[in-house]
Amino acid sequence: MLSELINPYYLQIASFILLNIILGVSIYITLATGQLSLGHAGFMSIGAYTSAILTLNHNVPLVLGIVIAAVFTGLVGVIIGFPALRLHGVYLAIATLGFGEVIRVLFVNWENLTNGAIGIANIPHLGREILTLSKDIGFEPAALGLRNNQFISLAVFLLLLIITIAVIWFFIRQNNSRIGRAYASIKMDEQASEAMGINITYYKILAFGQGALLAGFAGALYAHMTAYISPSDFDYHRAVEILIFAIFGGSEVIWGPIFGAIFLSSLPEVLRSVSEYRFMIYGALIVFMMAFRPQGLIDMNVMNWLKRSKSKKKEGKHGTGSKENQ
Amino acid sequence: MLIEQLINGLTLGSIYVVVALGYTLVFGVLNIVNMGHGEIFMFGAFMGVVVTNSLELPLYVAFIIAIVVTAILGYFLERVALRPLRGKDGVSHLAPLISTIGVSIFLENAAHHLFGAGNKPFRTSFSDMSFTVGTTTVYYVQILIFVIAILLMAGLMFWLSKTKAGKALRASAEDLSVASLLGVNTKRMITQTVILASAMGGIAGILVGLAFNSVNPQMGLSFGLKGLAIIILGGLGNVRGAMAGGLILGLAETFVVAYGASGYRDAIAFIAIIVILIVRPQGIFGTATSGSRG
Repeated sequence: MLSELINPYYLQIASFILLNIILGVSIYITLATGQLSLGHAGFMSIGAYTSAILTLNHNVPLVLGIVIAAVFTGLVGVIIGFPALRLHGVYLAIATLGFGEVIRVLFVNWENLTNGAIGIANIPHLGREILTLSKDIGFEPAALGLRNNQFISLAVFLLLLIITIAVIWFFIRQNNSRIGRAYASIKMDEQASEAMGINITYYKILAFGQGALLAGFAGALYAHMTAYISPSDFDYHRAVEILIFAIFGGSEVIWGPIFGAIFLSSLPEVLRSVSEYRFMIYGALIVFMMAFRPQGLIDMNVMNWLKRSKSKKKEGKHGTGSKENQ
Repeated sequence: MLIEQLINGLTLGSIYVVVALGYTLVFGVLNIVNMGHGEIFMFGAFMGVVVTNSLELPLYVAFIIAIVVTAILGYFLERVALRPLRGKDGVSHLAPLISTIGVSIFLENAAHHLFGAGNKPFRTSFSDMSFTVGTTTVYYVQILIFVIAILLMAGLMFWLSKTKAGKALRASAEDLSVASLLGVNTKRMITQTVILASAMGGIAGILVGLAFNSVNPQMGLSFGLKGLAIIILGGLGNVRGAMAGGLILGLAETFVVAYGASGYRDAIAFIAIIVILIVRPQGIFGTATSGSRG
């Protein structure tokens, strides 16, 4: 019964949507301090290559490889964050764009490590690792009535779902903490927050590092989900694609980029016939959004409205209506 | 050998200058980085291919058609992506950057559908014509490119410094609202500037087609990014800086290719801007302003 419900193809698409959500959150964090980065594809590639090379050439366990890749990318982000502090707006966007291109050219040319433009193949696959692991402890997918490939896709999807929920939960918690409030205040007005005693340097670099760490983490996951990476997977178009999640969904609240990632990555699957024109639609969409709704689809007002209508429903159910009595 | 490389570098550099001037003009007046410029430039190059290869018309017709088409594209870019954002409350200064990225994605993929993804040859009757002085071979195409670039630069300098329209443009670059108070039709000025910049992009497109004999939809991106790097090198909005920056980059790239590390050719521009932005954010020729901190 279960085996008929599980379609590996749809699960794979769902997994990539989850991956895009993580990427959307990663660009949201840097945007939360008002820093526009076009270098997230570069960070992603650093994570992907680090984990791929560690697990392939140095026999590092897969989980450890992903963790090391994420931490390493985070450190690179911090190092990039220092000079980035001096730059604002357009200058920062172009400098990070340049960073992404330099990383890409580096990976194309560093042939004895990265295999150049051909890319790295046969990277240990996340799902297959889980399969061998579960077989080692004596669990057979057949016990659930699943074929191996179904089990692999299901395992990857569930793992990513857990990770994505954990990531979202963490950053929602952070938003309500000292750090999140500092980010919001820096985004509003840097000088004023500095005058209020917020350590701008620390928080801006923290935001940059967090964004890089998350992008690197997503990159490492990507490498182990596709089992093949090449520098062209992480070019300018990828950076723009990640940015569009936040632009389309909105970068004021964390649900914006999440919604953007879900909507935009499922769009070509839903509208198969227009997938050829996907990027043209993307382009037109960006122009349209900037002209009519520059803050993105989901902003504070939408969130408040959603909350209000939810609480109204609750009040109606229980019939207390305490607010009207006040 | 050295002189040949020098000529190659100057040819490449003068193309870069023409590309970068398009960015500089728009930034100077609007304080906007027009990310769509590279793709408009690429359309100019494709117009050259269509006219000289498919229609088999002479080169000067290609120039005219490329200029007309890119000027129209520039007009639409201004109308669709820039004008709606101007003077609107609550629009961040990054909005125009992002909306022109949208235009660039649209145009790049439109070119994919219109002209196909692969390389298109750009054949003209005198592509291979050359003469030899001593041991160095010089192609006529290189001279043509260099002359056109010099003419454009000189014309632009003259136009900016001596004519009334140029003065109005410089006044708008200084302060849009004050210029408007003093009777400059700034709305028209902005549209004119974007159209002028785009037309220069069209010319640059044909020059690239002539120099490299091949045109593809991705070239807008690679040349566009380099144009961006050049205007940062030379100082944003600085016309002389863009000229010097373009020539420097052209020479640097040619010599890197000539002396080994050809794979890293495309990284030079970006390494240079990262260094420049950290050490001297106003650019080599820029004057120290609060621009980079704005």
